[in-house]
This record gives sequence, structure tokens and C-alpha cells, in this order.
Amino acid sequence: MQQLRRDPIIGRWIIVRYDDIKMPQDYYVAAVPKKQVGRKCPFCKGNEDITPPEIYVDRAPGSDANKPGWNLRVIANKFPALRIEGDLERQGIDIYDQMNGVGAHEVIIETPEHVKDIPDLSLGDVSKIILAYKQRCIDLKKDKRFEYILIFKNHGLSAGASLEHSHSQLIALPIVPKKIKEALRGAKKYYGFKERCVYCDIMHQELQEKDRLVTQNKKFIAFSPFFSCTPYETWIMPKAHNSHFSDIQEDDIDDLAAILIDTLGRLKKVLTDPPFNFIINTAPIQNDQELEFYHWHIQILPKLTQSAGFEWGTGFYINPSPPEQAAKFLRDSR
Amino acid sequence: MPQLRKDPIIGRWVIIATERGKRPHDFVIANDAPLETHCPFCEGNEKETPPEIYAIRRENTAANTPGWDLRVVPNMMPLMQLEGEMGRRGQGMFDLMNAIGAHELIIETNKHVANITELDVDQIACVFDTYIMRIKDLEKDTRIKYALIFKNYGVVAGASPIRHSRSQLIALPVNPKRVKEELVGCKRYYEYKERCLFCDMIRHEINAKVRIIAHSDGFIAFMPYASRFPFEIWVLPQEHSCDFHSLNNSKGLARVMKTVMGKLSVGLNDPPYNYLIHTAPFRRKTSVGYWKTIDYDYHWHIEITPRLTKVAGFELGSGFYINPTPPEDAAKFLNEIKEL
Repeated sequence: MQQLRRDPIIGRWIIVRYDDIKMPQDYYVAAVPKKQVGRKCPFCKGNEDITPPEIYVDRAPGSDANKPGWNLRVIANKFPALRIEGDLERQGIDIYDQMNGVGAHEVIIETPEHVKDIPDLSLGDVSKIILAYKQRCIDLKKDKRFEYILIFKNHGLSAGASLEHSHSQLIALPIVPKKIKEALRGAKKYYGFKERCVYCDIMHQELQEKDRLVTQNKKFIAFSPFFSCTPYETWIMPKAHNSHFSDIQEDDIDDLAAILIDTLGRLKKVLTDPPFNFIINTAPIQNDQELEFYHWHIQILPKLTQSAGFEWGTGFYINPSPPEQAAKFLRDSR
Repeated sequence: MPQLRKDPIIGRWVIIATERGKRPHDFVIANDAPLETHCPFCEGNEKETPPEIYAIRRENTAANTPGWDLRVVPNMMPLMQLEGEMGRRGQGMFDLMNAIGAHELIIETNKHVANITELDVDQIACVFDTYIMRIKDLEKDTRIKYALIFKNYGVVAGASPIRHSRSQLIALPVNPKRVKEELVGCKRYYEYKERCLFCDMIRHEINAKVRIIAHSDGFIAFMPYASRFPFEIWVLPQEHSCDFHSLNNSKGLARVMKTVMGKLSVGLNDPPYNYLIHTAPFRRKTSVGYWKTIDYDYHWHIEITPRLTKVAGFELGSGFYINPTPPEDAAKFLNEIKEL
């Protein structure tokens, strides 16, 4: 029989299908070899002149800005969803609310090599990506117009990546996204009742039960949540309680890089380079205080099924791969 | 300047990208899949589906034989089933239960046509009447809290490749999250204003005029101010009502739906879409006090979402949507279509 499982944070029920369990090979899509190399790709080394100027960069000593010689670049998105200039001018129109789309929209070009993805990069290179996320957060949170910094990655065409060169994006927003607000509210309620962090509790149960555990190292854990809303959804969480991603310490960055390479590598192997998205879920920025009830984490969402509109419309998801089985495939893949 | 707009019901902010607004012809839709040669939903193939739960049949025809105009059958791969125990339990800190409920398929016509727009108004009205009948029947089962009615059209929208017009009903022992959010939002608004939020929206849209797609027969169709998706359309009864199954003018709704779906089909070259009925959960004597004001604060409606863009996981994960087509532009485009 199918199972209904409840997300203990936001209270959403999801269906886990047991009558028609999908195996990894059911999700295989023909891998599309990367082809935009050369002049066509604005993110490749040598094409720096066709992108907006770099905001942040990791480059070899002695090399010039916006010239080759870099390992990682952060630039403004050429087609930004939000604009950096201007005031919010929040206003009501009868029953509706509106404000100007003020915000920052940046692209983190993770490597100068067109063909490489995160699992192909060295620990040092991936640490530099995480450091770049952190530094951009620290810089952007000085701007008092912003409430939240959303860091995410789209990999593969069907996951919304318009360019195949490995990159991630950062959007600084004047509002807190809905799901984050819900998670904050739910986690706070749980804390009010238990006086414990719901995420810490989830982590302890996963470490104890082990059947949804994917991998772990000294500072981080990767697991398939009990209440995964999509097949092979995977979370990476710091073992120590921490609400703000941007507070990550230098010596933890390497461990996060290691588990990110490991986890994305396992997904790539088991599902043959699936399209996916990841999002860093973290506390809003204008309150720098450590929140005892919230715990930042990375949510990886492989895009394997065609989610029906009713799933968006109702917030009711069907997962045809039980998380215990998904975790086992990922665990056994190395 | 792009705009941030807030959904007044659930409080979600949406980016309306006014500057890189996408025109309808930017949404290229390929409809070149070969036509299937066999369909289990066509007249004569009744044996290929589970036995019918309900059918509109001509006189002197036996169940599960030809002679019907509409059939309701259990889904062949049901997500929920009526038999068994709820088995609600905990597992450590987690909660789970068995998927007790129902999953039915409404085969809307005996002819092999794909889109509901190809049916005549009377037949579409029969489809709505059938929804109502099934909801009323399932309401008797006190384990069921909510009846969800939806349609997936086109493979991209989650339908199987068989192009025979049909919709689905899922009866659930829990309330879907988004519906709950709407209920909470509407209740809060009602507490403050003592008016229904949807009724206020209808009044606003009638005055503003810029997002209306159809307005007749006691129904209104408009593009919501904070649309998540390009060409998202909501259809509502103009007179306040919280339960879809109290509808007594299915023909009026059929007429409006045919117009709206027809405009979408012509304007966007037969796009894949989903529609979904948002209605109040079942209320029973045992739940007095629960949603005390629901009859006044909630308003049933149909949400139609064409599938034109790839929604990235970050939108699903963050609940933060970027809509590249301002609803006013989308409405203007659809309203310029004269020939249906």
C-alpha cells in the first residue's frame, strides 16, 4: 500500500508510491554531451569580455581583472530577474501589494573549464565555490534593502539551466521566500513544544536509523529525507547546530566541499548525470543572531519526473521512489 | 523595472519580469507525437478499464458495455485505496499513515478527442455534474477529508500519452497543503474585514478590467494579479460559495470554461495544461468549531495553469516564482482572439 508521510517542519503530507516503485534506470535520460564550447559559451575562459564585469574573483596572482587566469568568477546576471538600483516603493493597490523588483542577481561561474561539473572538480576548487557564496553573502547583507539571499544551482536543461557551463546563482531579495517563511514558522513551533531544533532531531534520527543515510563526514551529513517530495531528494546538513549559512567557518568549508562532491558524484553515478537543482536554505539575513530553532541545509532536488500541475496546485507530492531505497542506491554506489 | 507582487491569499511574493516579458510566440510548443493506435478509454473497450463506478448511459445498455456518454472508473494505478485501516502512527519523530482514499478517472466522452474544448457545452456540463455526484458520494465516507479534482492535459502536464479527454478525482484523508494555506489566509482576512477575500478580488478585477478573460453566466475568469505562471487563469462563481459541489449552474460554468480553454488553445497553439478545483474540505458534525466561518470566508474556484515554462527546482524549493509574462499582457493577448 502507498504511504502518506508528513513533513515535520512545514506539515505537508506526501505520498510514497509502493505499487510502482521506480528504479534508477527508469529515470535515465540520454545524456546530452556539452557542446557550446569555445566562443559560444560566455562562461569559458577567454570570453570574459562578453560577460558583465566580475564582482568577485579567484585568480592567479598577476593576472588582470576580466582577463583569463581565473579559477572562479562572480558576475552580475546579464538577464537579471531583479534590478540592483532603486527603492522598493512598497505600495498597495486596493487589495493587492506591490513593490519594485529591487535585488541582486549574480552568477557564480564555478570553473573556467567548460566540460567540468562539481564532482569533477578538486576539493580546493569546490571549497572556493563555497567561499565565494559566503563572501557574497557577507557583502550583500550590508545592503539593508535585502531580507534574504537565495543561492541555488540549476544543472541540466530540464532543471532550468540555460547554459551548460557549470555555474550557480545568487539572488538577494527584499522579501523572505514563502517556503523559508513556512519552515521558520514550523521550526519555531516545534521548538516551542520540544525546546529542540527540529532539524537536529531529524539528523539524530537519520544517524541512528541509518536507512536513509547517504554519506557523512566529520562535520556534515547527507541523507534522503523521510518526507522527500521528489525522488532522490537529498539534504546536506551541518552536524553542529547553525542557522546562518554565511557563518560557516573556514575549517568547515573543506568538509562541506567534500560532502558536496561526494553526494553529487553519487547522484551522477546512480542516475547517470540527472538534471538537478540545489538550494541553500538558510535564515534571513537582517537578523544576524543565531536562531536556536532553525538549521541551514542544502536541498538537492533531482528533476526526474514530470511533476503534474496538481502537485504545484495542491502542494501534495507523489514520490515513486521510497527514500529508504533511494538512499540505499546512493550509499552503495561507491 | 521588474515588479514584486504579493498573492493576497497565501502571502507569496512573485517576480513579474516586466522588462523581459515573454510574448506568447516565445512559448514554442511541439505537438508532433504520433497518434496512438489504441485507446482503452474509447467506446467498445470497456473491458480494458476496471468496472465503472458511475456512467451516463443510453437506455437499456448494460454496465461496462458500449452505449455510454461518460464513465467514471477506478484509476488503473490508484494512489489511494478505500480498503484498509488508516494506520496513523509515528516513527521516531516522523508521522505516517496508509494512503486510504479513492482515485478515480472521469472519462469525459466516448469519442477519441483529446481536449475538453472539443466537447459541446452540454457534455462539459455533464462532466461537472459528474464531479459533483462523485464528491457527494465520497463525502459519505467520514475518513475522507478532501476531494481533489484535476485534469492533466498533454504529456508535459503529466498526462499519459493517450489522448482521450479525461480528468481525475483523488479523495484524501488529509487536506492538501496549498488548500490549507488558502483557508488560513481567507479566514484571517475575514476576521479582519468580515468580507470574503475572493469576493473582494472579483470586485477589484471587474473595476480594473485588465486581467479579465471571460465574464458571463454568473462566472468570472481572470488572470490573478500575482500569477506564478504565464497565462495562469482562475475561474470563480461570481456569487459567493465555498463548496464546488453546491454548484447548480453547471451549464453556465461549462460555457465559460469552454470559452476560456478555447482561447488558451487557439492563442497558445494547444498548450499542455492542468486545471484543478479548489474547494472547501468536507465539514461534518464531528468537526463543529473547525473552520467556523468557512461558509463565509472561502470561495471555490478553478485554477488553470498552462505549462509553458520549465519551472526550476529553486522555484519549487523556495516557493518563489518568476513569471516572465505580466498577467495584464497575457490577458490582452487572449482577449484579442476573436475566432474560437
